[in-house]
Amino acid sequence: MAVVRKSIAAMTIAEKTAFINALRQFKTASANGRNYNWYIDQHITYFARTTDNISHAHQAPSFLPWHREYLRLLELDLQTVSGNPNIFIPYWDWTGAVSPFTVDFLGSITNGGVSSGNFSPRWGWSMYRSSIQTNTLQRRLGQNASRPTVTTINNVQSYTVYDQAPWNPSVVNSYRNRLEIELHNRVHNYVGGHMATREAPNDPVFWLHHCNIDRLWWIWQSSRGVDTYEPRSGTTNGVIDNFESMRPFGAGRTPSAVRDISFLNYSYA
Amino acid sequence: MTDMKRRDVLRYSAAGAVTAATATLAGTEALAGPDRSDMPADRRTDRDKKADPWDPRDFDELYKGRRIRGRHLLGSLLRGQDELFVGNRKLALTTISTLFFPADGSAPYVATGYISAINHYDPVEIDDNRRRDGLKRLGRKIVDILGDCELGEESARTHHH
Repeated sequence: MAVVRKSIAAMTIAEKTAFINALRQFKTASANGRNYNWYIDQHITYFARTTDNISHAHQAPSFLPWHREYLRLLELDLQTVSGNPNIFIPYWDWTGAVSPFTVDFLGSITNGGVSSGNFSPRWGWSMYRSSIQTNTLQRRLGQNASRPTVTTINNVQSYTVYDQAPWNPSVVNSYRNRLEIELHNRVHNYVGGHMATREAPNDPVFWLHHCNIDRLWWIWQSSRGVDTYEPRSGTTNGVIDNFESMRPFGAGRTPSAVRDISFLNYSYA
Repeated sequence: MTDMKRRDVLRYSAAGAVTAATATLAGTEALAGPDRSDMPADRRTDRDKKADPWDPRDFDELYKGRRIRGRHLLGSLLRGQDELFVGNRKLALTTISTLFFPADGSAPYVATGYISAINHYDPVEIDDNRRRDGLKRLGRKIVDILGDCELGEESARTHHH
């Protein structure tokens, strides 16, 4: 069933409650052969180069399609585990006034360990493969970075080339790289704590953040072209080309296959 | 005792010996000088001296009450072999070539940075010139990120980009 992904600013209380309860349920129950911690494992594994020397998830062209498929799978799994086909991943527009860190949503503690309320251990949220020695979700909101401004976002969105050689974090004229560093990395560092780490999906705000990244890419695609992924052909070493499968998603899950969200059962409001 | 462990004992026992004599400055207390003068010559074999030369950028200090130690190994070509310890745990480091965006709004530039499990999205620049203290700045950043927490076991797992 197709869903409409809304801004957190437009969510009803019932929608927020359904979303966080599905996340909690997915921590202890499986759906479609996966559970919540599977997603943390994949994020850690595919953040690094794989044994065949390919960068799948970060610091490479497939950063955007990899996370698009990653979010699509989670959305499907949350719908399955909860039995609610209307559940959607909301997006967090970092330039807006509405924060996801509230008592009725992702928890209001933003400086230190989330020791009470939603996403605390008592609520039912546990840390997995944490590089920080703690049992509680950690946040350090605003201590290491600031949120991107509208001006910064508009500047990033103005880049016209999706990506180009050397296909890594050093390329200057690349929409993907500017988006990844100036917007994506910055918000990870703005939230801080576990969001600054390799195992960032321990913090549920990870999904809201990446949903906004995906939304910005879709807006960019809508003006620059849906089929604009680079590199195009299967000759580029170390990165995923347009028709190569992205691991761990399986055969056929290529950048080309996920380029058009109208075929992926969701849209953005 | 392996060579590495013996070297560590020599280096950090010597570092500990000077702890009491060092002064606290702006939340940072140096535990070892950057040169080899605090290492008794008669306790270092020739092999130690050849295989494990002190790098003037090496450090062993308290920062906000936490001990951080850094060792630069094998020169800049293999900078990924540098070591950083926060408390008693080693933090695995990865070097990447990446864009840096100056805070003053000037044009971005490409340089080498350290990332780790803790600062995965926030590389700390290191070079042999103006950013030659990158490993120490990384150690202090990690303490700031950790707050009251320590490094977990996952932080020592190496990975490549």
